[in-house]
Amino acid sequence: MKRAIKRRERDTIIQALRAGVVPKLGLQHIQVGRAAEIAELVKDIDRISEGGAAIRFIIGDYGSGKTFFLNLVRLIALEKGLVVMSADLAPDRRLHASGGQARGLYAEMARNLSTRTKPEGGAMASVVERFVSQANREAEEKDCPTGEVIRSRLEYFEEMTGGFEFAQVVHRYWDAFEAGDDDLKSSCLRWLRGEFATRTDARKALGVRTIVDDRNVYDHLKLMSAFVGAAGYKGLLVSLDEMVNLYKLTSSQARNSNYEQILRILNDVLQGTASHLGFLMGGTPDFLLNTRRGLYSYEALQSRLAENQFAREGLVDLSGPVIKLANLTPEDMHVLLENIRAVMQEPDRQIPDEALVSFMQHCANRVGEAYFKTPRNTVTAFVNLLSILEQNPGTNWADLIDNVDVAPDGGDDLSDILDEYEAGSSKEPIRVLEENDDLASFRL
Amino acid sequence: MNEFDRLARPIQKWIRGRNWTALRPIQAEAINAIFGSEADLIIAAGTAGGKTEAAFLPLISQVLQSPSESGFDLVYIGPLKALITDQARRMEDICQHASLAITPWHGDVSASIKARARKKPKGILLITPESLEAMFIRNGLQVPVYFSQTRAIIIDELHSLLDNERGVHLRSLMNRMELAVGHPIRRLGLSATLGDMDLARTYLCPNKPEQVQLVEGQNDSSELLLQLRGYVQGSMQFPENKKTTDGCEWTRNENDTEQDEHAADRAIAEHIFEKMRGKRNLVFAGARNRVELYADLLRNKCDNEHLPQEFYAHHANLSRYERSFVEDRLSKGNCPTTAICTSTLELGIDIGDVNCVGQIGAPFTVASLRQRLGRSGRRAGQPAILRQYAIEDYLSPGSHIADRLRLNLLRAIAMIELLLNRWCEPPSQEALHLSTLVHQTLSIIAERGGASAKRLYITLCQKGPFRKVSPDLFGKLLRSLGDPEIGLIEQADGDLLLLGPKGEKLVEHYSFYAVFKTPEEYRLLHDGKEIGTLPVDMVLNKGSQLIFAGRRWEVIEIDITSRAILVIPSQSGTPPKFGGDPGLIDDKVVSKMRFVLADSFVPQYLDKTAVALLEEARSNYQSYRLDKSRLISQADGSHILSTWRGTVKTCSLALALQTLGFKTSLYDGMIEVSSNPDNLTIEDGLCQIADGRHNNMFSEDSNLMFEKFHPFLTEELLRLDALSNKLDQSALAPLAQEIIEDA
Repeated sequence: MKRAIKRRERDTIIQALRAGVVPKLGLQHIQVGRAAEIAELVKDIDRISEGGAAIRFIIGDYGSGKTFFLNLVRLIALEKGLVVMSADLAPDRRLHASGGQARGLYAEMARNLSTRTKPEGGAMASVVERFVSQANREAEEKDCPTGEVIRSRLEYFEEMTGGFEFAQVVHRYWDAFEAGDDDLKSSCLRWLRGEFATRTDARKALGVRTIVDDRNVYDHLKLMSAFVGAAGYKGLLVSLDEMVNLYKLTSSQARNSNYEQILRILNDVLQGTASHLGFLMGGTPDFLLNTRRGLYSYEALQSRLAENQFAREGLVDLSGPVIKLANLTPEDMHVLLENIRAVMQEPDRQIPDEALVSFMQHCANRVGEAYFKTPRNTVTAFVNLLSILEQNPGTNWADLIDNVDVAPDGGDDLSDILDEYEAGSSKEPIRVLEENDDLASFRL
Repeated sequence: MNEFDRLARPIQKWIRGRNWTALRPIQAEAINAIFGSEADLIIAAGTAGGKTEAAFLPLISQVLQSPSESGFDLVYIGPLKALITDQARRMEDICQHASLAITPWHGDVSASIKARARKKPKGILLITPESLEAMFIRNGLQVPVYFSQTRAIIIDELHSLLDNERGVHLRSLMNRMELAVGHPIRRLGLSATLGDMDLARTYLCPNKPEQVQLVEGQNDSSELLLQLRGYVQGSMQFPENKKTTDGCEWTRNENDTEQDEHAADRAIAEHIFEKMRGKRNLVFAGARNRVELYADLLRNKCDNEHLPQEFYAHHANLSRYERSFVEDRLSKGNCPTTAICTSTLELGIDIGDVNCVGQIGAPFTVASLRQRLGRSGRRAGQPAILRQYAIEDYLSPGSHIADRLRLNLLRAIAMIELLLNRWCEPPSQEALHLSTLVHQTLSIIAERGGASAKRLYITLCQKGPFRKVSPDLFGKLLRSLGDPEIGLIEQADGDLLLLGPKGEKLVEHYSFYAVFKTPEEYRLLHDGKEIGTLPVDMVLNKGSQLIFAGRRWEVIEIDITSRAILVIPSQSGTPPKFGGDPGLIDDKVVSKMRFVLADSFVPQYLDKTAVALLEEARSNYQSYRLDKSRLISQADGSHILSTWRGTVKTCSLALALQTLGFKTSLYDGMIEVSSNPDNLTIEDGLCQIADGRHNNMFSEDSNLMFEKFHPFLTEELLRLDALSNKLDQSALAPLAQEIIEDA
């Protein structure tokens, strides 16, 4: 537990927590609870490494730690030698679309492609590089042209959908590698990252007739999983967050076609058609359960994702595709605050335990039990408190706690127009929000 | 440095190429105003006054002097597709020299042009409010990209957007645009000259109207040709030399056994046929049955004379196909076409420019008369032509006072006088515009894929054009939309509001983008038989009396969902022929009518019959002592209350009297009270209202749905909306007091 923490990790964690986002590194220092869930996911990762497939829906409320959890799993997967592609869905990034939004999602995933040595993303080039150099080494051992080795390694790609072009692009990369043509190399990488918007551009640059487009995103994920395998990695984990954006789509047709894609993935994974491939999808309970616009609105998904009916009253079944993140308990919260304290403060200058207790008490008074169930805002407030103490030596924590402001968490909707408010405040005085506070907690 | 030197080189070159000897004063002034400050600006001048150049020459110069990287530099918003196509042509000519892209964008522009502009937005965008709305809903994420570099929004035909739903809609869109890019965008309005430009100022910049600069054209060069023709229903010709002994009244010729109910209509059709055939024209004829009547008369005439058909009816009940046939014929302009229409062709629909506008019967607002008239004389050198027809009835000894005062003719005169004075109805400041608010609420939710109540409130009410709406009222509105029966919105687990099942369907369809609709016509049913249709724009209650087809009817039930009003013939009094069609008339129009009655001035645009009718009305005004008394009793026991106010206040008083048990009919500026409840005299009733003991105006089945999104609101909200612009509760007591005092 008390491993030494690197300075860089410490700064990343503090910065991220203050901004209310999940740090990309050093998660193990603050993680609490959810041991069973993590163990289950570790099993999944092992299964993927051994040639299996997995899919998990990580379901939890706003601020309950979905993203944290996904990131933690991502780091574990990287440690275990998998390649991870991750992205947040957004209105312009979804699984199925006709206006380039699905390609947008793929491009985002490919940009964030990470490996153990490059855990922060942008690892597409190194994966391709590794594939090529391995082929090169094998060619030297066998004493035959590298091109041939690459061809034989990619041979079975041609049987997969879109595999022929994929193999061609990797070939072209080797050509460019040999000729020292950096332009061509970057064109190949752009193609692999799904950054070509039109086929004409791709044909001009690479001579291939297809690109990653809205219709073949999932096929390309399968190709990527095969490719990382061929490059010597153990498998591919695709981690998609903010799935609630699908739920928020305005057109029922658009929602259904996205859910259809999910069904396709789910079927492939559960039937064992896919290999070395895993999916993690994070969303709110609404995204899963709402029968009008959530996953449950799609009949075929509802029956596949239904909860084990025996898993109630304290009994859990984590083997199904849906993992509901259990809420943190006050005790977990206490441990979490301890961990943060350990990260931020030197052991000899830590605030006493009673400060943690009184901080939690204060939060409970302000927002009720939401403070430990959806920890994001509580953590942010705590980190801010500690920073003040650190920068203003001599301040007493007890004086500060009463001023700490914690708001209940409810998605992030107003930031842009409220920012604009502050910026343009000279023009028009801000009418303080008390006036319409009843709308802040509006219920239909 | 003179004005010309301030312009960019390519623009100067273009001006030289046109051989202009000098810039017009309005253009010089506009150049100075645009270069001189960053303030909002209104450029007002008549048609063909060079407004467009006045705004665009300096603006394009500014763009050329400091070009932006991406996004539209200028956004022009025009209310009509044809106008946009036209302006795009003119701009192209100017911008040829400047290599600036022009993108016209409306429903008829091909998808490839739009796709290109979407990919690389630049130059000048010319767009309708509805297409802008579509942009928000379908490409909401791109809006900041499109408009972050925009220098100015130019709003054409600003005068047509001041008060109506469409105007509020556009204001909301501009406001959302500014919120999306995070800074205010300069607004320029191009407008016809109005008497009171403060309205336009407030429209452009509600926070600081006094900062809006104004550049006004000196003399309105556009010409208006105008004639008001009077017709008397009941004979083929006006018996010009048959004045009867008792002065000015025309009585029925008893020998004329074949009395023709539609004589005046025939005569009007004859006149239309003679004057309008062979060109493109619009004739506004009021209700649907009137439209059909005239279209039929004119078509028969064509058939009889073996001429090609060129008169077509256009109203909301025709099929989509038939309507677009007429619209296409008008807008293509290769064959002469005259459309006889209800108010359907007044707004939005594109038919290009027409030669002449006919108006049978007076419209209800000067704004709508101006709007209709604006359809003709758009081209330079072409006058706008208005032919106004007023139909009055023969007077018999038993004729009703409303007929004797020739209210139809008087209203037409008052409207034209006010139009010539450049007056126009002021927007009602208090109006809530809840229907438009519903539209914008759905639009924002669709744009963002969900929005919290607070966000909606800040965007639309706190910072947007719906400032009269309190948080509490907005909450009620949202709850009304979220009612599972209505199903327009629903709420996610968090705060987010999302579109409900019905909301999704509504927003998906292209008809959602427009916020306005033509007023709904109600069917009048008696004994299960339909006796006709009537456009209704004011509040009616059970017990209200209507004049229709020369008879007086009492409303016994209003069925809002099927748009039907059940009526029975009313027992009381002689009905006037003058049908007080239910539309909203402003106070100023009615007081102008009173002024015309009391005055002796004869406008020069009246024809002989109209002059005679006017004189007759004036002498009756005197003989009924209407100039002296506000409450006169008639022989049959009924009373005439003269409010001399517009429909809002008159109707409020009539409804208040109705809820006390009186039976009332409404005329312009007058209420006829035809029967009392047992225990109450009319004077007592007025006293009760005057001292504030009684102010209720609604019964259970009042018709309160007038605008597109009204059917989704609760009764309570509908009443609030009606009270904010259709009725005036606060005017009741003073008005009643005034009448008692002048009785």
